[in-house]
Amino acid sequence: MALLEVRNITKIFGGLVAVRDLSLDIREGEILGLIGPNGAGKSTLFNIISGFIVPNKGKILFKGESITGLRIDQIAQKGIARIFQEPTLFMQETVFENVLSGFHRHYTQPLWKVFLHTPRANSEEEDKEKKAAEIIEFMGLSTLSGELAANLPHGHQRALAIAIALATEPALLLLDEPVTGMNPTETMEMVGKIKRIRDKGITVLIVEHDMKAVMSLCDRIVVLSLGVKIAENTPADIRKDEQVIEAYLGKQVI
Amino acid sequence: MKPPTSWKPIHKKLAAAVILIIVFAALPIFIENDYIKHLLIMACVGTILGMSFSMLFSTGLISLGAGAFYAVGAYISASLAMNAGISFWLTFPLTIIISSILALGVGAIFVRNGGIAFVIITLLFASAVVIAAGQIEFLGGWGGIIGIPRPTALGPIQFDSKMSYYYLILIILLLVVLAYYALYTSHIGRAWKAIKLSPNLAGTLGINQYSYRLLAFTIASTTAAAAGSFYAHYFQTVTPGAFSGWLSIYIQLYAVLGGLEFYVMGPAVGSLLMTFIPEYLRIIKEFEPIVTGVLLLVVILFFQGGILGTIVNATKSNGKNNGQGIHSIRSWLKKGKNTGVRES
Repeated sequence: MALLEVRNITKIFGGLVAVRDLSLDIREGEILGLIGPNGAGKSTLFNIISGFIVPNKGKILFKGESITGLRIDQIAQKGIARIFQEPTLFMQETVFENVLSGFHRHYTQPLWKVFLHTPRANSEEEDKEKKAAEIIEFMGLSTLSGELAANLPHGHQRALAIAIALATEPALLLLDEPVTGMNPTETMEMVGKIKRIRDKGITVLIVEHDMKAVMSLCDRIVVLSLGVKIAENTPADIRKDEQVIEAYLGKQVI
Repeated sequence: MKPPTSWKPIHKKLAAAVILIIVFAALPIFIENDYIKHLLIMACVGTILGMSFSMLFSTGLISLGAGAFYAVGAYISASLAMNAGISFWLTFPLTIIISSILALGVGAIFVRNGGIAFVIITLLFASAVVIAAGQIEFLGGWGGIIGIPRPTALGPIQFDSKMSYYYLILIILLLVVLAYYALYTSHIGRAWKAIKLSPNLAGTLGINQYSYRLLAFTIASTTAAAAGSFYAHYFQTVTPGAFSGWLSIYIQLYAVLGGLEFYVMGPAVGSLLMTFIPEYLRIIKEFEPIVTGVLLLVVILFFQGGILGTIVNATKSNGKNNGQGIHSIRSWLKKGKNTGVRES
């Protein structure tokens, strides 16, 4: 069953058509790769799904329900988490506080109980702290738990961004270039983690330029070029697809 | 694995605050001079006002109208006492209720704008409140309301000395501190900080920027109004002139001077210094404002974390970048119009 349905999305910036009449499905429990040369519209599609950009035409359905035109926080509340391409973290906070912030939508205690620190509000807080520690351990950041996010090296900042997204306990996780700028060892480690995230029942949509990572991670791959979907298949078949090779390398090479 | 310890520093801070309040509770026993007691009372009021400024700052909003709801609270309390003839013990909670409703209504419009727009709007609002109070005959015009009764006796406790007022404001301050700490250490405080540090990331975590800022605005304004209610029954007079634009600037200075990242201790330190230093500079009376002004400039230009921020940074043994973030208004302004508005 499709968890997220993109239906005939078109987005025009000025005179430039970033995405043209694009439709695709993300099936529940899969890792779907989104690839394409620069300017293909991958990031635009990401921003449309997560609510940062409103499409000119078309609809996005999440669990069969339209989420087009909702605010960023409303879409997050539905269970769609995203990480940004550039490191976007609460830099002046510790790793632990960063992850704790991610649980925001799962706090249920009303304001007056928070005011009075009632036992239930306290146990809710403890429960979140425990879960945050688990996520930090899962992402391999345990030893850095008290460190400020700003002080982390690039690879760990990436891991932290994913940890924050996991704390929102999403149904769909959107990853924008999660392994870009990592060395091969770090990349393979991250690939392993993303697979384990999927095994937890979280559907993953991933944009990535690192072909090795994409090929070993994804169940299916969608290829965009100039805002149009040119292929949608398994990694093995995508590799052989002539249109894809053409889009990436240009015609004369073939 | 080791249990997370991130909540502990904040409890240490809370313990420090409680010790400080005990010290301040013992202070008047050693102080004979009524004028110094008066200054202490005003420092407590200033702390509450500074904390209300800091609460908005914790969501990334700078308010130049911090004094506006102080005035609103004072006037509500004064009118209730004079026209309905009720005592402080009723006007105080009534002021809180009425001003929170007002703050919710006004904030619903103000908080739509972030950054510089919010600064200007709140500045204008503060001026409008003062002018309105001066023009409305019912509120006593520019002459203000005089003869507001003192709080009626609570059993054996009479409110006829500076000492009794001092303890009253100290208890109010303590309650405000406890409530603020509860908020700052909860997911609500984290959501506020998230909005300030990265509006976009906060949004993708499901935090609604508008409603969380509105919540902060309402709580901060209500707190300021509560301080205003105390003020009215302490001075027994409210005049529009007492709430001029300078008041809001001063409130902001309390927070900046103490350290903007210290939401409770910052305003306390700033307000104490700003209340007492000018008094002791009076020896050279004509130059007092100049000296105060220069001192402030030095702190803002060279000690960007405020007094507490400078001390904390100096005592941190490792000299590495410990997240020099939004410690100063200057860096906040540099961040520009990052209000998390959808780009489309």
